[in-house]
Amino acid sequence: MGSGVLAKTGHQAALQEDNAIDPDAMAALNKMGAYMRTLKAFQVKADVSTDKVRNDGQTIEFSSKVDIMIVRPNRMRVEVNDDAGHRFFLFDGKEFTIYGQVAGFYATVPAPDTLAKLSENLVDKYGIELPLIDLFYWGTDDALTKRITAADDIGPSTVDGITCEQYAFRQPGLDWQIWIQLGEFPLPRKLVIRTLTDDAKPQHSEVLTWNLAPSYSDNAFTFVPPAGVSRITLEDIQAARSAQK
Amino acid sequence: MKRTGVISALLLMALVFSGSTLSAQRRGGGGGNRGGGGGGYRSSAQTTVNRGGNENLNRNQNANYNRNTNANVNRNVNVNQNVNVNRNVNVNVNNDYHGGYYGGGCCYHPVATAAAVTATAVVTAAVVGSIVDRPPANAGCVTQIVNGLSYTQCGNTWYQPQFSGTQTTYVVVNPPR
Repeated sequence: MGSGVLAKTGHQAALQEDNAIDPDAMAALNKMGAYMRTLKAFQVKADVSTDKVRNDGQTIEFSSKVDIMIVRPNRMRVEVNDDAGHRFFLFDGKEFTIYGQVAGFYATVPAPDTLAKLSENLVDKYGIELPLIDLFYWGTDDALTKRITAADDIGPSTVDGITCEQYAFRQPGLDWQIWIQLGEFPLPRKLVIRTLTDDAKPQHSEVLTWNLAPSYSDNAFTFVPPAGVSRITLEDIQAARSAQK
Repeated sequence: MKRTGVISALLLMALVFSGSTLSAQRRGGGGGNRGGGGGGYRSSAQTTVNRGGNENLNRNQNANYNRNTNANVNRNVNVNQNVNVNRNVNVNVNNDYHGGYYGGGCCYHPVATAAAVTATAVVTAAVVGSIVDRPPANAGCVTQIVNGLSYTQCGNTWYQPQFSGTQTTYVVVNPPR
């Protein structure tokens, strides 16, 4: 009997978890998404850490600080500070600019007209993954709730002094947790994602601080190169890949 | 046997040379490639629950890895230039060259030493289209702006910096204008 319990791992356990969806957890996720869709402009500062797995299986953590300002549907200013540099990503509704402050280089390319299309475009065409990318997606995609195989309400938990409810979800290849602020502003305050497709199970986490009344001008989203900064190109990996075929 | 000895000595010299160039560049570090260098990474934690983001990340890493491989391949092309030098040597000793790259590596001949010295002097031109993390150090490189874009000129070799994803790499290009 004992061995029978132990054997319930992997696929078998995953199938069993199909039934373990707490409707309250799903409702909290949907409520958060619906609320976030109502936000026209917001600023988020985040402490982010992401594991990379070495070829020998050792996990190495990389940390960054992110400051992101969004004005829907087509303005974005992102600042990323990490050990590899200090980068900006700007989008003014017409052009996208990446600026590496340490290297003193920037590149500007034509961009699609919305943030959602831009984020797809950046990944596919240029290999650029914007930070905090889930902020663009919460409440916009039913596919997420369909992928979830387990949902659980862990209970109240405090993030940076703010009372949240902690939830745990499973979906193919990922175990993840989210801390959603209690009260009239159901915002994500913390997100932890564990990747299961690598044996080392690397983890990504982000702790978010929100400003729902950011002050900005249009200048904030347009890049004006400082003195001594030179323009370079942005490699089109999509074109490079199709040229190889 | 002389012939193969000459060739393998040249190959050895060329490989040693390219190897030292590579390590010098890594030591020169301090750039934007911190996460991607060193021992190599097989995967990264997925950063989104809303998309298949991990596949994309892996794709990027593979692309970076391939670039490094390409750089090595191009250095091998330099080795081919040595072979060209080698042909001249062979003419001098009245031997035909049959393209035997994988000689027994037996005899270290004085001619080989002389040829190898010449060969290392020849190995300076980088191959157009090859990609490196940064231009060589101590090569007297200068920044040039041509048609509004930044280039790095190192002697007769021109490097064009680019963003590869969020990292900066340098492509060897023909002199612009």
